[in-house]
Formats: sequence, C-alpha cells, structure tokens
Amino acid sequence: IKQSLVSFSLFLFLFTELVDKCIGSRIHIVMKSDKEIVGTLLGFDDFVNMVLEDVTEFEITPEGRRITKLDQILLNGNNITMLVPGGEGPEV
Amino acid sequence: MSLRKQTPSDFLKQIIGRPVVVKLNSGVDYRGVLACLDGYMNIALEQTEEYVNGQLKNKYGDAFIRGNNGNSSSLYYCSL
Repeated sequence: IKQSLVSFSLFLFLFTELVDKCIGSRIHIVMKSDKEIVGTLLGFDDFVNMVLEDVTEFEITPEGRRITKLDQILLNGNNITMLVPGGEGPEV
Repeated sequence: MSLRKQTPSDFLKQIIGRPVVVKLNSGVDYRGVLACLDGYMNIALEQTEEYVNGQLKNKYGDAFIRGNNGNSSSLYYCSL
C-alpha cells in the first residue's frame, strides 16, 4: 500500500507540474458528461478545480450547441475527465 | 484581463458579493448574488433565479445550494 501511495503521489506531482505549465495558455477540458470547455487557464488547486477565462462551453448534442461565456469561471474538478493543453475544442 | 496565477480560493474570495451564475450538471442555472460559500462548494445566494431552459422559478431572499450534488455535479461560477 505504501508503494502505491508513493507512486500515486509521484503521478499527482508530475500531473500538476504539467497542468502548471499550461497556466496562461488555452486549454480544452473534456468532462464526464457530454460537455467540453475551452478557455485560458488562470489557475487550479490540488483537486484540479480550475479557474478559466474567456471561456467557450460546448454541449455535445446532435447539433453541437455552443455557449460562450466571457469573464471568469471556476470549474469543479469532480467531473473533469481529460485536459488538452492548447486544444481548440470539438469541431463544430 | 489579468493573467497572474490565480487559485480557486483566490477566485472565490474575489467574487463574493458579485452576481454569479451557478450551473449544475443537471442543466439548471441559478443566477444570484454570491453571499458566501465553503470548502465543499456549498453556496448561499441572494436574489436567486432558477433557469431551466427558460425561466422557471423566482426565489428572493436566500438560496442554499448543496455542494455535493448527488450524481456528479459540475459547478461553474460565471462572474457576470
């Protein structure tokens, strides 16, 4: 168990280092649900809750709806599946 | 448009008292003035309006939104 805890901590460290490099640039976030977010990464915390700016929200429905929100959002990390640094979002 | 590093807790301190939209994974939006919140993302709003597609309910006074929303919720605060 200690071994796996150490490995996990190392993974988390490497992961957060990678996300840290994205601060200030565009990032594309895929959620567990049919939703994707593209924005400029301002910051994040240990739980990978993310603060984003100049955000576009995509709902992946039969017609690919798009909602643009300016200003800033706090995205709850609970439902994040994947992060794509520099990503543009889904093709609409 | 400030691009300094900003953690979620800094952001939350900044938006208390401002009008926000809390968007749940269920597709319901709550618009109101952020009164306060805690580490579990429980939220207290004032002058809240509930939007499901169109406008459904109007709540005035205080609204309390539970942070852990049962089946995975995703909260967005859009500072308006």
